[in-house]
Amino acid sequence: MNQQTSNHSTSIGAGVWKRFRKHPGAIFGFVIISILIILTVFAPLSPYDPEASEITARYHPPSWIHPMGTDALGRDLFTRALYGGRISLTVGLLVVIISVTIGIPTGALAGYYGGKLDGILMRITDAFLSLPSFLVLILLSAILREVEIPLFERNNVLTISLVIGVFAWTTFARLVRATFLTLRETDFVAASRALGGSDLRIMINHILPNSIGPIIVEATLEFGYAIIEESGLSFLGFGIQPPTPSWGNLLSNAQEHFTKYPWLAIFPGLMIFLSIISINYIGDGLRDAFDPYKVLEKVGEF
Amino acid sequence: MTTYIVRRLIQTAGLLVLLSILLFALVNLAPGGPLSGQGQSRHVDPTKVELLKRQFGLDKPLPTQYLIWLIGNDWMRVDKNGDGILDSYGTRQGILRGDFGFSFRSRQPVLTEIGQRLPNTIYLTVITMLVAVLIAIPIGIISAIRQYSTFDITVTTFSFAGQAIPEFWLGLILILIFYAWLKNPFTGEPLLPPGGMTSVNSIGFDLGDRIIHLILPVLTGALGWVAWYSRFLRSSMLDVIHQDYIRTARAKGLPNWKVLYKHALRNALVPLVTLLALDLPYIFGGAIFVEILFSWPGMGRLYYQAALDRDYPILLAVLIIGASFIILSNLLADIVYAYLDPRIRFE
Amino acid sequence: MYRSKLLSLVFVIVLIVTSLLGCQQKAPSPAAQDQKNITIVIPEDPPSFNPIITDTGYDALVMELVLLGLSDIDPQGNIFPELAAELPTVENGGVLYDESAGTMSVTWKMRQDVQWSDGTPVTADDVIFTYNAIVNPETGGWIPGIDYIDSIDKIDDHTFTINYNAIYPAYLTQFGGEQVAIWPAHYCDATQGFASWDCARKPLSDGPFVLSEWVSGDHMTFTRNEKYFEKGKPALDKITINIVPDQTVRKTMLINGDADLDMWTTEPIIADLKGNSNIEVNPSPTNRFVMRIFFNLAAKGTTDPVATPHPILSDVRVRQAIRAAIDVDTISKEFFLGYAQPDWTEFFRPPYTCANIPRPKFDLAAASALLDEAGWKDTDGDGVRECRGCKTAKEGYVMEMEFITYSEFGEPLELTQQFIAEQLGKLGMKLKLTVVEGSVLWAASTDGGIEQNGNFDMDIWDDGYSGVDPTAFIESYYSTAAATPDAGYNFMRWTNPDFENLLSSTYTLDEQLRKDAFCKMAAILDKELPELQLFTALNADAHSINLQNVQSSTNDVVTWNSADWVLK
Repeated sequence: MNQQTSNHSTSIGAGVWKRFRKHPGAIFGFVIISILIILTVFAPLSPYDPEASEITARYHPPSWIHPMGTDALGRDLFTRALYGGRISLTVGLLVVIISVTIGIPTGALAGYYGGKLDGILMRITDAFLSLPSFLVLILLSAILREVEIPLFERNNVLTISLVIGVFAWTTFARLVRATFLTLRETDFVAASRALGGSDLRIMINHILPNSIGPIIVEATLEFGYAIIEESGLSFLGFGIQPPTPSWGNLLSNAQEHFTKYPWLAIFPGLMIFLSIISINYIGDGLRDAFDPYKVLEKVGEF
Repeated sequence: MTTYIVRRLIQTAGLLVLLSILLFALVNLAPGGPLSGQGQSRHVDPTKVELLKRQFGLDKPLPTQYLIWLIGNDWMRVDKNGDGILDSYGTRQGILRGDFGFSFRSRQPVLTEIGQRLPNTIYLTVITMLVAVLIAIPIGIISAIRQYSTFDITVTTFSFAGQAIPEFWLGLILILIFYAWLKNPFTGEPLLPPGGMTSVNSIGFDLGDRIIHLILPVLTGALGWVAWYSRFLRSSMLDVIHQDYIRTARAKGLPNWKVLYKHALRNALVPLVTLLALDLPYIFGGAIFVEILFSWPGMGRLYYQAALDRDYPILLAVLIIGASFIILSNLLADIVYAYLDPRIRFE
Repeated sequence: MYRSKLLSLVFVIVLIVTSLLGCQQKAPSPAAQDQKNITIVIPEDPPSFNPIITDTGYDALVMELVLLGLSDIDPQGNIFPELAAELPTVENGGVLYDESAGTMSVTWKMRQDVQWSDGTPVTADDVIFTYNAIVNPETGGWIPGIDYIDSIDKIDDHTFTINYNAIYPAYLTQFGGEQVAIWPAHYCDATQGFASWDCARKPLSDGPFVLSEWVSGDHMTFTRNEKYFEKGKPALDKITINIVPDQTVRKTMLINGDADLDMWTTEPIIADLKGNSNIEVNPSPTNRFVMRIFFNLAAKGTTDPVATPHPILSDVRVRQAIRAAIDVDTISKEFFLGYAQPDWTEFFRPPYTCANIPRPKFDLAAASALLDEAGWKDTDGDGVRECRGCKTAKEGYVMEMEFITYSEFGEPLELTQQFIAEQLGKLGMKLKLTVVEGSVLWAASTDGGIEQNGNFDMDIWDDGYSGVDPTAFIESYYSTAAATPDAGYNFMRWTNPDFENLLSSTYTLDEQLRKDAFCKMAAILDKELPELQLFTALNADAHSINLQNVQSSTNDVVTWNSADWVLK
């Protein structure tokens, strides 16, 4: 854990970026994910409609006009994969936002105040950590699929993100709590308190910035997990509902005849694979960047 | 140490009660019920609805249902035939006495159903884990010692890839390659079977047949674990190598391999063993995608089928037992850690 | 010291693994070379051998291997005796009835040479035991027409009389067919109750095969019943049923010769198997499952079509427009690979085939005109119609609905659902799509079942009846009594007094009268359109050409004649 205080943050940021740039994997990941994001953002420029069927063009193999082929309703798979990417990446982003929003305050309160509050909050965290999470995700999304609440209709992006996010915040809570436990007794916190700083101010301005590195690293990895979990749920039929494409549900029907039309299975899987590997590399690069100790040490002696 | 364990056990019990209430409420709020877990069937006689609700005790208010589920109803009188008179004692014993009720679908005791599936899942996951660890340990060690070597970079790249491949996709691709595309050059049959635990017409215990059926599921399941464990071991090995006592040992003039073997590896393995203990619950839950893709009759598939059928007694039992496993293995991890690492003492 | 601990840990793990390997199921005795063994593949375990409790089809499949009923039905619809020595009819004196009092009694004579596999003869006591088990108010079940039975009198060990409080025309298959078997009185434990007795998982056999092993989720093994009453049958020694969830894998096993029979093969798989000279597909001569759209005539979430009529679907012109806008031929050709047969009435199966209903035309212009006429127009140009002078909703109400189907059927139905929604969308009717498991779609209303609670606008799925008598089926879908939640499957909440009268008039033994009544009912359904029949899916089971005499049947599961199967 780096122990610098917040007023060094600009120099830290610059250092982080400098070190991040030197991580080839991270740069690779950054480039790939940027390309994916740009492609999905500009998906509407595709000449094909992602949901309109074209009965005369069913199951066309990849070609120049359909780079990934067409699906069972003759829709362009590349266009659908891009629209699916919008969904999957949005789920990843929303899950990170949701889990950070729940996790950071929980961890901060528990770590800063300690005592009974800490006990209660950590028992709740333990309860979530004790559940076989993917199995509960299956059950939850199966239940919510029949529920119609405004904004959360039938397993849309928001519902799925919320379900995944509800099980993802515990990591953040534990991480932030650890920082707060270590730092609440330090001199600069005592000093700010003596100067009349409110608890909230101390927490946000003085302690939280110190855990920003691990939080960013963890958030990056969580982004990837969320995409995998969404695609897993969709693969089992409990995720995003067709005809809205997501990388997972594009794969789920591909299973039925993947020996005959393998492109239906290969391309959406490849999209998931590429985005996850990029994200993991970025996470790895960020970890090294925030924690220079490991990178600088060389073990050439061995 | 004993007081520590006792304290942890009490906390564990409290946590489990909390979880059981949460899960029970969750499951009972959901649509679907004893009449719905019937596959293709649409013909359910309406007059059976009331009857079955009574038989499954679903006509009671939710808190009462929870209590009956927890401690049974053999100590109280129930109305069996629906005439409004409490005529006989109940037959449920409650989960505290190991009675998880009956599956809506098969009408078999839930524990019987789990008992049929659990050995298959343990068989698959233990072998998967073992294979994963046996591959991961040497990879992790070598890439830590030869950090930034070609080997390290190649292996690290592969482990990144391994962690990024969704299990269900990998399984599909492997079936495509080894069952649909590649043929056995001698017999012309597919190179590897697409699923199942044994061949259909295999007679008796045939080790070769079993191994052949294990290859694809174990490969699919183990890849992620290999990536995870080798990366973990590599970094904990690197951590240890940087420790002062290693420098001291080296300064004392001990040969490199001896320092490595006697000090570094030993200490780097401690966290790995703890991690293994923490991952033990996966043995219970089973690898859901592997089991579905490879027709493996295990817990994951039992749970998935139960989720499709909304077979709530099974879902609840798997979740509760699964949660207990996780909590207990956390406890176990702490104890193993204390046992293996002499630096840790519990007061 | 530390290393030895780690080693011992690894050792213990290895020990556990090897012991697990060791304690897997024990070997059956080595089979002789000339044994006739076959393998059937199905996607999931049967819940039990009792299809009355859980009608999944897989239970019927295994039930037909080991248990007999009084009678059964062949693919052509002929009823033949199984445990019965002959079929009781009015002509042979087996059936006595009183048309004015509305009662009848049927006397069954049973074969005397049928035994359970433990050597006990099958007698009238077994039939009476089965009847009592079904009607037990605490632990029983339900079969069609069971309420019309007052009592069963035992005449002698192999003769009994069933006394009915009504004229019940389907009496011949009541204790037989795909659903009902006769259970052994001396073996089943009556106190466990019909719904959960052990003998439904470890049955005693009086059929051609005996269950010898059931490894849950993996396989079931059946061996030849040496005591089977038909001399020289069955011709097979062993049937293994393998549980293989993935249909692509089942198909490949069939191609590779690892499996001999796939139950309920779907159209895409049949198309894939075409041209493979080792595989044969004999579809049933008649079809059974009709793909149909259910219209909720009550507003979504309600069940009373009079107090809260559906804002869009309660107008019959809207329903007619939907019928005209669905291109059944394209759906059949593309998604069902030409195997689906267009159908537009409930009464298309012999012996009750009604030729008086013309096939509706696919006509988008007519559909559009019908919607205009009903007062649904797209005035704001967003591509979706609004109520402009319609009778059933507020002015400006947007023509948007939910369209549900179930997931178990698989891809062809989901594609059909998406295709229909798109076609209707072009017409200005916006449909939101949902796919749910059957367990939720068809659950009881108190369990949150979507249909029983009226929580839908339109949904599409397939259904049909086994056997040859449609009465119980029609009653459960279109009768007034069935329109109350959980009392039947009239999810449309459609009622019609004329239809009701015709329905009760079918309780007669006069066949001509029944035929006329059914065709009049067909005309009413065609005019009012509470439900829209689209096409029938194929009923077929792909099998190896070496396995002969396999005949798929709409009236029963494929194992109905397993005693006659021969392996070349």
